Amino acid sequence: MSGKSGSAQAEELAGKLSGILPGSPRVEITGAASVGAQRSTLFIDRIVDGERKPAVAQIAVGALETLDVETQASLLRAAAEAKVPVPELLAWDADLHAIVTSRVEGESIPRRILRRVEATPELGERLAEDCGRALAATHAIPVAGLAGLPDLRDPLHYLDELEGQLAELATPVPALRLGLNWLRRNSPGPPPQEALVHGDFRNGNLLVAEAGLAAVLDWELAHRGDPMEDLAWLCLRTWRFGEDAREVGGFGELATLREAYEKAGGTWREDRFRWWTVARTAWWGLGLARQAQVFLEGHSKSIVLAASGRRVVELEYDLLKLIGA
Amino acid sequence: MLDKPDAASLLTAMAETLSSEVLPATSGVATHSVRIVANLCRILARETRDGAEARELTRQSLVELVGREAPLEDLVRELDRQLGERPDDTDLEARAGRLILADVRRRLAIDKPDYDA
Repeated sequence: MSGKSGSAQAEELAGKLSGILPGSPRVEITGAASVGAQRSTLFIDRIVDGERKPAVAQIAVGALETLDVETQASLLRAAAEAKVPVPELLAWDADLHAIVTSRVEGESIPRRILRRVEATPELGERLAEDCGRALAATHAIPVAGLAGLPDLRDPLHYLDELEGQLAELATPVPALRLGLNWLRRNSPGPPPQEALVHGDFRNGNLLVAEAGLAAVLDWELAHRGDPMEDLAWLCLRTWRFGEDAREVGGFGELATLREAYEKAGGTWREDRFRWWTVARTAWWGLGLARQAQVFLEGHSKSIVLAASGRRVVELEYDLLKLIGA
Repeated sequence: MLDKPDAASLLTAMAETLSSEVLPATSGVATHSVRIVANLCRILARETRDGAEARELTRQSLVELVGREAPLEDLVRELDRQLGERPDDTDLEARAGRLILADVRRRLAIDKPDYDA
């Protein structure tokens, strides 16, 4: 593709997307929701008999450590069957590393969602309830029928992974070391129930409409694991965007989330919720430090990756508070 | 002999220019980048003013804990090594925890003021 102009590249990509869509409609790329180092999310129109039908194409462009598109496609189908709100799967292609879905109307930018909640407080509680229901439905999806999912059930195995990542950091972060030591001492053992874990269910990956949760996006970190991991991740301080009093994504109360989750058939386990809150706080602190390292080692000039290094301290603080340092 | 405005003042002015003049003229991915750069300018302005003192306070407390004089980076590595090698030493963890929390608060004052509210 090198040497081609941006519009020629876009045209070529539109042609490829047309080829994987049912009926091979004409495709026009109308905009980009995000263009990252690892993945592009593009708005497209499928044009059939002059009628434009909007859709979204997600295309992996980097060496992702995430799920292959075939597994992601099967997850979207399983989630839809389980009544989890997700965009409709229209097409996928392994060679193109692409998934095309319907475009669901709604807002995904966290600060805009929180502004709407500020103006309409009942939206926040409704959203927390919807999240509880959606997570209970996700966790009830049988994992046996889903091939290709990583198995992250064993907390000690998860910890080994985190310790490996910490060892690879060029700059030591003693707060993260303290957190990992705490996690090993307080490991709750494998979960009593195995579940499909979304892995990135948080403010930013939720499409929100006036009626509440419109769609759960970004399934590429899904795995077999402990359902409390998803609930903990949703409630991390980092996803509250300054609205710290509302523990669920900065929009809802924890009690509301828990009640909806249990009412929909989920089992809340407080000790495991706490462990995963610490574990995912450490995981995200490590993630930000690793992003900064990519910049520091000269593999990327991205200002986003560079700035990540100055956010690690927020996760260090949260971690120390959580473990009572 | 004395360049004025100093670095902190210039960085603050750069952040203000980016936020008030450049940001409204951008859209899409560029808007996000301008916000990030403006925020980094503010961080650097605070670091220019307060960073050296904050680092020295942490270094001194590490000298006390580790028991030897050394540059900050060496002492951080030494503390991290000790915590990794003695994960069940609760006394070390308690003393290190207090020291690390104080250091984190000083860095937050530069990187994200009000986070520790």
